[in-house]
Amino acid sequence: MILETDGIKPIYVQISEWIENEILNGNLQKDEKVYSQYKLADMYNINPATAAKGLTRLANEGILYDKRGLGKFVASEAKAIITEKRKNQTVKQLLHDLVLEAKQLGMSEDEIHERLKEVWRVENGRD
Amino acid sequence: MDVIKCEDVTKTYRRRKALDQVSFSIGENKLVGLVGRNGAGKTTLMKVLAGMLRESSGRVEVFSRRPFNDLTVSANSIFIDDEMNFPPTMTLVELLQEGRRFYQNWDHELAMKLFEYFNLPSKARHQDLSKGMQSTFNMIIGLCARCPLTIFDEPTTGMDSVVRQDFYRALLKDYLAHPRTILVSTHYLNEMEEILEEVVLLDKGQLVLQMPIDELNEFTIRLSGKKDVLERWIQGKEVLLTKETGHDDQSVILKNSFSAEERQEMKRSGVHVSSVSASDACIYATSPKGGVDHVFDRSEDK
Repeated sequence: MILETDGIKPIYVQISEWIENEILNGNLQKDEKVYSQYKLADMYNINPATAAKGLTRLANEGILYDKRGLGKFVASEAKAIITEKRKNQTVKQLLHDLVLEAKQLGMSEDEIHERLKEVWRVENGRD
Repeated sequence: MDVIKCEDVTKTYRRRKALDQVSFSIGENKLVGLVGRNGAGKTTLMKVLAGMLRESSGRVEVFSRRPFNDLTVSANSIFIDDEMNFPPTMTLVELLQEGRRFYQNWDHELAMKLFEYFNLPSKARHQDLSKGMQSTFNMIIGLCARCPLTIFDEPTTGMDSVVRQDFYRALLKDYLAHPRTILVSTHYLNEMEEILEEVVLLDKGQLVLQMPIDELNEFTIRLSGKKDVLERWIQGKEVLLTKETGHDDQSVILKNSFSAEERQEMKRSGVHVSSVSASDACIYATSPKGGVDHVFDRSEDK
């Protein structure tokens, strides 16, 4: 797994996360064909092998499936897998970083809880 | 299948070894960057591969043949650099028309379109062009020849940054449409790393590394923090560069051999962890110990 906060994310990770977002926001439906490595390479001005690596990553996680000779398609459980993965990795990592920073600043657990609630209210009010 | 295969290739000029036991191979249809500092042996290696120079020892194979003076290799490859000689009496457009006769896969329509896009003067002769425009013209020839092995030696010499970006884009687009083996040497790895699949790094005639570009991006890591805390993590590791960043503070670059857990643990102990770009990794892997700072360092306690 790649730690997001180590710096700039590898391009293939950015590609796979972009496709994940397309699935999460419904632009890519289940059983729909995903862009080919060549299309992705052209769109993002990257080497097709890098794009392929991003696609393979999603296939290995069960988010995409292969149809021989036709390309890669969105698996029916894709959304659930992505959501679960992001809770366990992205959100967890962000929380770790948050707590680390808070500790460095000498904040208490209660203070963090309060701040979190406040941000939660603001962000939900926005929608 | 490997298009290029080198085993212990050495090239000696008088007594100087320009290439020193270089072994590597490049698979078919890969777009590969060749990097290294001035005098690292990039041009010599490319000329050996193109069959323009004969290796002093070792084994070179291109399309499974020894390239030197080989007709098959010559017919299937093109070598582009900034010292290309063209007949001085011919205009640029006449040169492109000759390209059509010369190269089996030549795409003349693309050649003319690129020629117009880059605003090259059709009646001019090659020697009248500025350095950057010469490079642009050479690049068009290299792309449109569509040779199964295309070698560009510093193709962007003299080009302004807009033309360089156009070149990288044109190279990728044509490669996507017509996959072939392409080897490009460059001093601008940061500008073109995204379109490359692999990087070969030479230093002082020797192969330092060959790896996929995204692995190279994670190959080295930068740690900064308090000296005593850092010490725990860098003990016994090969540190490529150490920089004093304040009283008791240090920043070090080293090979990234840490697990995700270890990096998390580092952060907990107050170490700042950051990534090092592929091009910086190449610099650190080939620069003399201490860098140029060392030259200016007059303290006795080194």
